[in-house]
Amino acid sequence: MDTSSPSAFVNGSLMRRYIGQKVRTVIQVVGSDVGSVVGKSTDDLQIIVKGSPPTTTTPSTYLEVIGIAENENSIRAEVWTNFGNSFDPVNYNELCKLANGEFKHLFI
Amino acid sequence: MGEILTAGVIEMIRNDRVKNHEQMKPVLQVTELKLFTAQQEPSKERIRVLLSDGTAFIQGMLGVALNPLVKDGVLQPGSILRLDHFVCSEIQKKKIVVIAQLEVITTKSDIIGDHARGRKATEQHGGDSGNTSYEQHGRTDVSSARQINSTETGTSLVGQQRRQVFGSGSGSGSSFEQHGRSDLSGGRQINNNGTGTSHAGIGQQRQQVYGSGSSLPGSYNNPSAGLVRDPPPTYPLQRHQPPPPMYQNRGPVARNEAPPRIIPINALNPYSGRWTIKARVTSKGDLRTYNNPRGGGKVFSFDLLDADGGEIRVTCFNAVADQFFDQIVVGNLYLISRGNLRPAQRKFNHLPNDYEISLDNASTVQQCHEEDAAIPQNQYNFRSIGDIESMETNSIIDVIGVVSSISPTASIMKKTGTETQKRSLQLKDMSGRSVEVTMWGSFCNAEGQKLQSLCDSGEFPVLAVKAGRVSEFNGKAVSTIGSSQLFVEPDLAEAQKLKEWFVREGRSAPCISISREFTGGGRVDVRKTISQIKDEKLGTSEKPDWITVNATIIYMKVDNFYYTACPLMNGDRQCNKKVTDNGDGTWRCEKCDKCVDECDYRYILQLQLQDHTGLTWVTAFQEAGEEIMGMPAKDLYYVKHEHNDEEKFEDIIRKVAFTKYIFKLKVKEETYGDEPTVKATVVKVDKVNYSSDTRTILDAMEKLRTAEAGSSGVGTSGTRDVSSVERREFGLPANQSDQYGNQSSNGARPHGGGGAMSCDVCGNTGHVSANCPNTRSGPQGQYMGGGSYGGSGSYGGGLPRQHVGSY
Repeated sequence: MDTSSPSAFVNGSLMRRYIGQKVRTVIQVVGSDVGSVVGKSTDDLQIIVKGSPPTTTTPSTYLEVIGIAENENSIRAEVWTNFGNSFDPVNYNELCKLANGEFKHLFI
Repeated sequence: MGEILTAGVIEMIRNDRVKNHEQMKPVLQVTELKLFTAQQEPSKERIRVLLSDGTAFIQGMLGVALNPLVKDGVLQPGSILRLDHFVCSEIQKKKIVVIAQLEVITTKSDIIGDHARGRKATEQHGGDSGNTSYEQHGRTDVSSARQINSTETGTSLVGQQRRQVFGSGSGSGSSFEQHGRSDLSGGRQINNNGTGTSHAGIGQQRQQVYGSGSSLPGSYNNPSAGLVRDPPPTYPLQRHQPPPPMYQNRGPVARNEAPPRIIPINALNPYSGRWTIKARVTSKGDLRTYNNPRGGGKVFSFDLLDADGGEIRVTCFNAVADQFFDQIVVGNLYLISRGNLRPAQRKFNHLPNDYEISLDNASTVQQCHEEDAAIPQNQYNFRSIGDIESMETNSIIDVIGVVSSISPTASIMKKTGTETQKRSLQLKDMSGRSVEVTMWGSFCNAEGQKLQSLCDSGEFPVLAVKAGRVSEFNGKAVSTIGSSQLFVEPDLAEAQKLKEWFVREGRSAPCISISREFTGGGRVDVRKTISQIKDEKLGTSEKPDWITVNATIIYMKVDNFYYTACPLMNGDRQCNKKVTDNGDGTWRCEKCDKCVDECDYRYILQLQLQDHTGLTWVTAFQEAGEEIMGMPAKDLYYVKHEHNDEEKFEDIIRKVAFTKYIFKLKVKEETYGDEPTVKATVVKVDKVNYSSDTRTILDAMEKLRTAEAGSSGVGTSGTRDVSSVERREFGLPANQSDQYGNQSSNGARPHGGGGAMSCDVCGNTGHVSANCPNTRSGPQGQYMGGGSYGGSGSYGGGLPRQHVGSY
């Protein structure tokens, strides 16, 4: 796993701040194509993740993807982690907001 | 009116100044008539009379020829007559007026004079017996004196040398005292209630003489006074003194049969002399058997209410309880006298009276069959539901309201193992508040059912609660106690008003409940941090504090992780008391007082808990212990002691360390020796539910944010928690620490963002290496979660309250 550059916690709406930079986010799988996965971000925006997921992604599982944000709604994934089915998106969303807002100093 | 009668003549007769009709023909009034057969002439009927001259009495005998007058009713009690032919003789030292001839002046007349003390003469012949009883009286003390309830010897003219035992009035009462051995509270007069011409009925009260208290003792000392001191014409209302005795050292011994002086309940006190109260029974308790260190027995009590609104409780024990239990009916009027007054037991007695009555064999309870509208059926002191909120817990109140909802009966297990019924309903009233009323026991089925059916049929009945207790759990509520009474749709003005209000507006009016919904656990989850236990001095108040903490087990004491417990069942629960080793392989339990061969092993774990704020020791018992250890105490005991498998044992113990749970703690200050220490017990152990935990923390952050904009204290740790919790537990621990570890060791230069400060140690912004949270030596190694995390740059929490102005 390439960890040379830290990734910022983002949700759908925060991604635009980090275009070209490494980000991490969790999406809920909506569908998958060849070479990409379509998912819903924790704030209900559509995110497209390019790359190949390690396992067949069934809809409604949560995946964490770390990669470079290509534009405000797509990521070129480098690392995929399956977070399972029980994940609380609300909490994650709050985390993203806090990590980029009030407590940015605590993060990257 | 005394002029009609020849006043003072009786005294003269006694003094031998008047011996027969030749000297005077006195006009006297007959106050009593009695028929009896003289011992000497068994075939003849003789009539005995009690004659009054307006101030004194004397016994008289009618000549046989005069009998028809009585039989025809010409001569009756109250008749005024002139003695035309009489002689005064002394029989057994008593003066008797034997009348041969008389003229009836007035047949019907009210008793003249104000010393008419109705001496009820019962048809008792046998003065001797009576006399002896008197003898007894003189000798014995009051209590036995009281026994002489109905053996009076009105007729006995015999030897009255005794002290007057009869006594209407405190005079005799005090006679007891003085002569005898009675104590003051005895003014126990030998009262003969309810016999003969009972003056118990209403409206038949005769005037009684009240000697002023002070004069009574005095009079004792001069027996020559012979007669009663001059009674005041009206009796002072405040001092309900029974009238002084009629005879002083002589005169027939008789029971005091004066009509009972009915006094208000509120005037009762232990120093009242002979008293009688007339009251209605408002509630009747059950006949209970009890057992206490002093022995066992039966008890039953009932409450009384009289015309003045006074209330008092009456209690009877053992035989007396049996005697009166069947007699007492709620709603009936009774005349009660000769009970003992003692201070009220506030624990059981919630009536507004300082005293309570205790009945014994000498007490009398007599039913009044005549109704008395002056005495209400029941007296209430209703409080509005809004007031309940501010009332003290455990206070007793009456409340009335409209039942807005009722739930079915539930069965609750009590601590003792017995089951009991419980039913709750919501009561609304005009104050705009509603309260939960809980019924226990028999109320559930009786009134509860009635209310349920009324509610089911769409009605909203009015319920009045008398003597309900204010309890506190999640707000205030009212519950029934043993002596409570519930009235469905009572016939009261308040009920009427409530109904009207309800129809008008109450039905739709929003009602704020002062009793919050009773959740299953009953306790709101109060989240605290460990440092708050000390800071807020939890547990030091009277009641224990129940808190929830999210913490990790740092250490567990291995030495005594269990204790040998009693496996015997006490009702539904296990005894669980520590058993002592008898040495021979059996174990003895003190509580059950039995020996068992095989004891139970139960956990008693001493754990050290830590969270991001502090450390504390707690004790966990069986249930929590099993959860933490993952195996029953017995198994662990075997591993250690029986199998002596040290390695396995240590393995298990090690696994426990650094596990994080949500602990529900009961914190209470206890005193050991001289020192009070705050001890915490684990009541429940739950695995951390990160999702909800996070929410809790987010909420807390929100609260903090609104409270203090920009504070980073808790927020900081909050954030840390959030992120760590989030990232940490999802996925595999190994991964995470890797991720973090990698990240931090990277010393990556900050990019993006202003990043004013960047730490050399961990590569994160916001602080410098000196302040770096990753240094373990920092404040309170905050070990969180499984595995130490390399302090991924998310917390400034290591350094508490590090506030970085800019990001």
